[in-house]
Amino acid sequence: MRRTVGALSLLFILGMLLLIAHPNYGLKFGLGGEDWQKYRYTDQYYIDHGIEEVGGTNIVTDIVFDYRGYDTLGEATVLFTSIAGAVALLRKWREENGE
Amino acid sequence: MIPLQFVTAFLMIFMGIYAFLYKRNLIKLILALNLIDAGIHLLLISLGYRLENGVLPTAPIYTGYETLKGTPMVGPIPQALVLTSIVIGVCVLSLAMALTINAYRHYGTLDVNKLRRLRG
Amino acid sequence: MGSDMGLIVKTMARATIPLIGIFGAYVVAHGHLTPGGGFQGGATIAGAGILFLIAFGLNEAKTRINKNLYSALEGVGGLVFLIAGMLGLGVAFFYNTLWHNGPIFNGEPGTLLSAGYLPIMNLAVGLKVYTGLVSAVFAMALFRRWRK
Repeated sequence: MRRTVGALSLLFILGMLLLIAHPNYGLKFGLGGEDWQKYRYTDQYYIDHGIEEVGGTNIVTDIVFDYRGYDTLGEATVLFTSIAGAVALLRKWREENGE
Repeated sequence: MIPLQFVTAFLMIFMGIYAFLYKRNLIKLILALNLIDAGIHLLLISLGYRLENGVLPTAPIYTGYETLKGTPMVGPIPQALVLTSIVIGVCVLSLAMALTINAYRHYGTLDVNKLRRLRG
Repeated sequence: MGSDMGLIVKTMARATIPLIGIFGAYVVAHGHLTPGGGFQGGATIAGAGILFLIAFGLNEAKTRINKNLYSALEGVGGLVFLIAGMLGLGVAFFYNTLWHNGPIFNGEPGTLLSAGYLPIMNLAVGLKVYTGLVSAVFAMALFRRWRK
């Protein structure tokens, strides 16, 4: 019973995902031209003004370190915290030193 | 016609959810987590593509190609945010591996059902 | 307990570890010009460190890698990143003040010494990722609390 419900829900999820991916009434794929200027003006702004405002010729690095710098700061915090947690979980405990 | 990269991304997410539901090994659950992660990354990167009346877009890098100004380029924002997401995926992987190693040391097994039964 | 690998793996690791390290350093240093950046280059150099750990065994790696130093360097990388973000605090946090009116990193766009604080941040993030990944894998390799 549980396996049947699981399989049916999985098929439902896959069908919904494929329906979302259809370009006619789902995700528009490859927006270009007027659509790009209308919906993706931030991308176009970064492509046009990235070199003058930040200076790097790699636009992705400009976005990562300047326009979206707070995201990178949070990412660095997450990296530090998780590495500290992993090292703290795996180190030698004090009462087990005698082993 | 559904674009092929969307089908691939959704298939990866589907396989990850399947493994989450039906697999019982902790290592396989971590692999399923990373598979879902990779599928979402592929989906987001594909959304940044751009098709402008037959002209193929280029990567958003101007080094050595300063004459490219004005030609269509793929969207850089999904790439930057997926880069952040990849780092967080690595963090989750390392922390989950540490927890799995501790669980195996404590219980002597990796089976989820036995882990639930052996409490304390 | 010999935990190292055989002669062939060791010879290949001796040949390829410097090349991987140099390539990772190139990716980090040219992060604002070419594809790549701090995280990718740091992960590449960490791959060289992990190859050293796997090929030469834990006992050899313990004498070469000081894990307390690596844990400290990770914090140093994060601090350098934060300080580089605070350089333009007179205007706003994460304001790129070195780019237009700074004494250094003010060259033509497309050269190595340009783009304000971007090279500093790339180096800091590369150092942070390299030391973080190596110390995480090293902690996993040092795990010796198995119950008998």
